[in-house]
Amino acid sequence: MEIIEKDLSLQEKLNILADAAKYDVACTSSGVDRGGKKGSLGNSCAAGICHSFAADGRCVSLLKILQSNECVYDCKYCLNRASNDRVRTTFTPEEVSQLVIEFYRRNYIEGLFLSSGVCKNPTYTMELMYRSIDLLRNHYHFNGYIHVKAIPNAPQELIEKIGYLADRMSINLELPTAEGLHELAPHKTQASILKPMSLVQNRIVEHRLAIGKDPHMERSGSNRYLSGTIFDTAGQDRIRENASYPAVDSFRTPSLYRPDPFVPAGQSTQMIIGATGENDYQLLTTTQKLYQQFDLKRVFFSAYVPLNEDSHLPSLDTAPPLLREHRLYQADWLLRYYGFQAQDLLSNERPNFNILLDPKCDWALRHLELFPVEINRADYATLLKVPGIGTKSAIRIVKARKTGVLTFEALKKIGVVLKRAKYFITCQGKMQYHLRIEEDFITRQLTGEDYKSSWEIDNPQTYQQLSLFDDNQFASAQPIFSDIQKSLHGQL
Amino acid sequence: MIVYTCEDSFEAILTCIYDAWASGLGHRNLKLMVEPVGNLELFCEYRHVDPDSTKVESVIRSIHKKISGYAYQMIFRCAMSCSSEKADIIYRFLLLGFHYGRQITDMVQLPPVLALFELDRAVGNEAHYFREFIRFLNMRGNVLVAHIEPKSDVLTFLAPPFQDRMPSENWMIIDDNRKSAVIHPSDQDFYLTTLTEEEFKRLKTLEDPDDPYIDLWKGFFETIAIKPRENYRCQRSHIPLWYRKHATEFQNPLP
Ligand code: SF4
Repeated sequence: MEIIEKDLSLQEKLNILADAAKYDVACTSSGVDRGGKKGSLGNSCAAGICHSFAADGRCVSLLKILQSNECVYDCKYCLNRASNDRVRTTFTPEEVSQLVIEFYRRNYIEGLFLSSGVCKNPTYTMELMYRSIDLLRNHYHFNGYIHVKAIPNAPQELIEKIGYLADRMSINLELPTAEGLHELAPHKTQASILKPMSLVQNRIVEHRLAIGKDPHMERSGSNRYLSGTIFDTAGQDRIRENASYPAVDSFRTPSLYRPDPFVPAGQSTQMIIGATGENDYQLLTTTQKLYQQFDLKRVFFSAYVPLNEDSHLPSLDTAPPLLREHRLYQADWLLRYYGFQAQDLLSNERPNFNILLDPKCDWALRHLELFPVEINRADYATLLKVPGIGTKSAIRIVKARKTGVLTFEALKKIGVVLKRAKYFITCQGKMQYHLRIEEDFITRQLTGEDYKSSWEIDNPQTYQQLSLFDDNQFASAQPIFSDIQKSLHGQL
Repeated sequence: MIVYTCEDSFEAILTCIYDAWASGLGHRNLKLMVEPVGNLELFCEYRHVDPDSTKVESVIRSIHKKISGYAYQMIFRCAMSCSSEKADIIYRFLLLGFHYGRQITDMVQLPPVLALFELDRAVGNEAHYFREFIRFLNMRGNVLVAHIEPKSDVLTFLAPPFQDRMPSENWMIIDDNRKSAVIHPSDQDFYLTTLTEEEFKRLKTLEDPDDPYIDLWKGFFETIAIKPRENYRCQRSHIPLWYRKHATEFQNPLP
């Protein structure tokens, strides 16, 4: 059942197709630095730029729309599913381009996030999306950020053609297990999702090798001081056999031959949290595997917002599990920047995050034998494991102590959150106060502090600014950029 | 106590630092302030300093040679701040900087270094916020105009990213408080200028209130929020009310 309206105004179409796109959370403009050029409109900044914040506090960085909200598939959790009665409409490529260009000129947006329902069939849909992007890039010379969602079961050639025009591509895994997917998204299979994902990965690797780069995506620079991060242990098998390496005789000097970049900002994906019965451990190990096997740039989590009445789904009055989503983002951060692995944080015996403590505190309390650490001597990797010390403050400690001994007073100024860290560190052999390093005591102290903020995440009306990181926001000449801003609240 | 004062410009501040340094009065016995000086104090002697390009050059050269280019950039940003303490903060930082050299920018445990970092961050943040939140209005003749009312003088930091972003558009950004503007003619380099009251008024008349993209954007902005996640406090912490003054999506919401 669907109603296709022929005479909608552009405003009506925009509202419908933005409304239908808003549950996709991966709206960052990050991952690639690209300068502007004369005759073109736009550039791109690797840290990502937010342009506004919507009433739910989420960053608005890209014009996030669907090409079409028509859909022949019937994913149970989705507003656009074929069995829902809704007004259906489709943008023409010209309309998409106009909106992007004019919004961009006024500094409303950093670029476009284009997704779509399956209009007629996957090929027809992706063809339409390709025409939109092609028009933007080649006719309007748009040089800003473009993120395109690949449609499962779309032909390989179309995905490749789009990959040469887009900055980022993503295909949503939706649910971490094949069973969950089968139950809730009967027209999709895990294979139909993983195949395009590895296709994009292979093309990215080929391009990177062709321009003389390492085949893996860049990761945080400070990871080089860590050993055993999820990215190293992914190991050698990450160079895929089916990637074709450029033959020696095809070597040309870069000035003469520079292949077009392919999805330079990398791939991402998204999983829905709380629609099916997976535990956090399953979600986090899946996340880790996605980083390792597909070299994804980001994995996003989306707290399930009930939109449809369905016996397979949580009831309509279920609140979105925002705290759980937040914990997953915190853990994701620990994997990507702090050298933790999924198995360090959770296990089959303890498959879910502690609702009272953030994952790093929780980990530290289970490893009290490693503490306290001496601030003036501990290496970067060890400092990072201390609750209350983030990547920025760890780097600052390492630099500042070269020029003199650090005191608690100095640590505070450097941005260390002493109210957490004080249980785990010494300065010149002394703890800040005479504190017992004893699990129950510290747990009580820390949960007292965390409880309020945890409660507030699940009850957003009472929101307090809280940080995903340990650093107090100090002395970064650059303020928070879109990527971080969103992760801060676990609301990407 | 001797107080060296100067007008609020980069050149004047550096000259002021030069003179204070050269005075040989001892750093504890003097202070630097940017004019207008608020509360005059009874036991202070105020000495006004005029900018002098030879002294400015000499200070800039010393910063580069004895500390680093990085330190120079920080100092420049700090000089654009709206803080009345800025001249003194830069001065105290330089005292240490000339002593310790390049490594000074790692020594955040020292209070004067920290003070400079904090000032630098405040200016950097403000510039970055405006990069995100300024909105251009389309004027007749396809010229884009944005108005801002920043606390710090951020125009010099805003112009380069926008020149990179829109190299082939005609645009200008106007600081309504300082009545200064950067102007970027399409395919050329931007320049800074000041606007007379008439020019300012004439520009207002050229704005196009019927620009259809204003409502399209507002409609999009309202639609994109997810109801069950509504969180106005979170929104306010990210885009403080103060920055919303010229942001299209927060002006006269759609009916
Ligand atoms: S394919 Fe599934 S998730 Fe995508 S629009 Fe259609 S019903 Fe929704």
